[in-house]
Amino acid sequence: MKSRIREFDSSTLNESVRNTIMRDLKAVGKKFMHVLYPRKSNTLLRDWDLWGPLILCVTLALMLQRDSVDSEKDGGPQFAEVFVIVWFGAVTITLNSKLLGGNISFFQSLCVLGYCILPLTVAMLICRLVLLADPGPVNFMVRLFVVIVMFAWSIVASTAFLADSQPPNRRALAVYPVFLFYFVISWMILTFTPQ
Amino acid sequence: VLQHNDDTEDVSLFDAEEETTNRPRKSKIRHPVASFFHLFFRVSAIVVYLLCELLSSSFITCMVTIILLLSCDFWAVKNVTGRLMVGLRWWNHIDEDGKSHWVFESRKESSQENKTVSEAESRIFWLGLIACPVLWVIFAFSALFSFRVKWLAVVIMGVVLQGANLYGYIRCKVGSRKNLTSMATSYFGKQFLRQNTGDDQTS
Repeated sequence: MKSRIREFDSSTLNESVRNTIMRDLKAVGKKFMHVLYPRKSNTLLRDWDLWGPLILCVTLALMLQRDSVDSEKDGGPQFAEVFVIVWFGAVTITLNSKLLGGNISFFQSLCVLGYCILPLTVAMLICRLVLLADPGPVNFMVRLFVVIVMFAWSIVASTAFLADSQPPNRRALAVYPVFLFYFVISWMILTFTPQ
Repeated sequence: VLQHNDDTEDVSLFDAEEETTNRPRKSKIRHPVASFFHLFFRVSAIVVYLLCELLSSSFITCMVTIILLLSCDFWAVKNVTGRLMVGLRWWNHIDEDGKSHWVFESRKESSQENKTVSEAESRIFWLGLIACPVLWVIFAFSALFSFRVKWLAVVIMGVVLQGANLYGYIRCKVGSRKNLTSMATSYFGKQFLRQNTGDDQTS
């Protein structure tokens, strides 16, 4: 451990601020790419960070705002609600996974679950654009299709990373809460109406 | 007059001793930008939280602003100001077996002029680091007991993020002081071993 510290001593303790920023930005960007094209790799798990999940959570919460008439309830509770659902849900899934004996660390699991919200955030964006058109059954079918596709994408991306950390006979037990989590988010996206 | 001479003589002797044994502690601020930003993000997050009703009628704007300020503060303190102002750094490292290690690193005491820790910067750093999480904990209790529950998410985020930095840096500091006494003996021992065996140490 001490020799590793000495290795890092010169590389990260004395690097310039710009290097630090670029290094972190590149790490976040690489993880977004990994979610869009899920492959079996350990990058998402190895260098975890929670910036991506924070950005996605804030974006999703902002897009799920209703334009309300009175400024008294200006969407405050809904904003906090999305935050609480995402983070509390992710923590619960992580605890469940650890209790089942998975060998993934707490923050790694939060990182994967948070980054895999990206497809659903894209779905929310598309839904908001579609809702600018006339409401009707076609509108709803388009949104339903988009949400279902993105929901499947999120599930595939997250299980590609999380399933390996569980013993084979427990995989279904560890994966179904992930299913529930993304289902709740997809439901919030699908039932969203601007007024 | 005799006493005054004695005093000055005593003082100069003391200074000469200090220079050879301890590193010289400067009291000027070497990184003004870093010091400014260290305090700026934390203090403005608290100010926005306290004045949210006056600043903007929209709860969302305030909440997003506070979240952004808290995140910028967390990143800046963890990655930049700790390094520059007090030479400490902490992070998490996952090795090939999938095990996670928390690494707490402190800059070795070197006699180089520009790498020593200045007292003023150290004081600013620790003051900002300790005072703000305490304030956020107070806000948490006040939000809980006055039933302003919609602010609880933001306040808890403030407590968690700033508390994490506080805990990490305290562990860096405590770790470095513990190593100080045994560092000399282990350092020379390792140098000797490295020269003779010439390969990586694992400890």
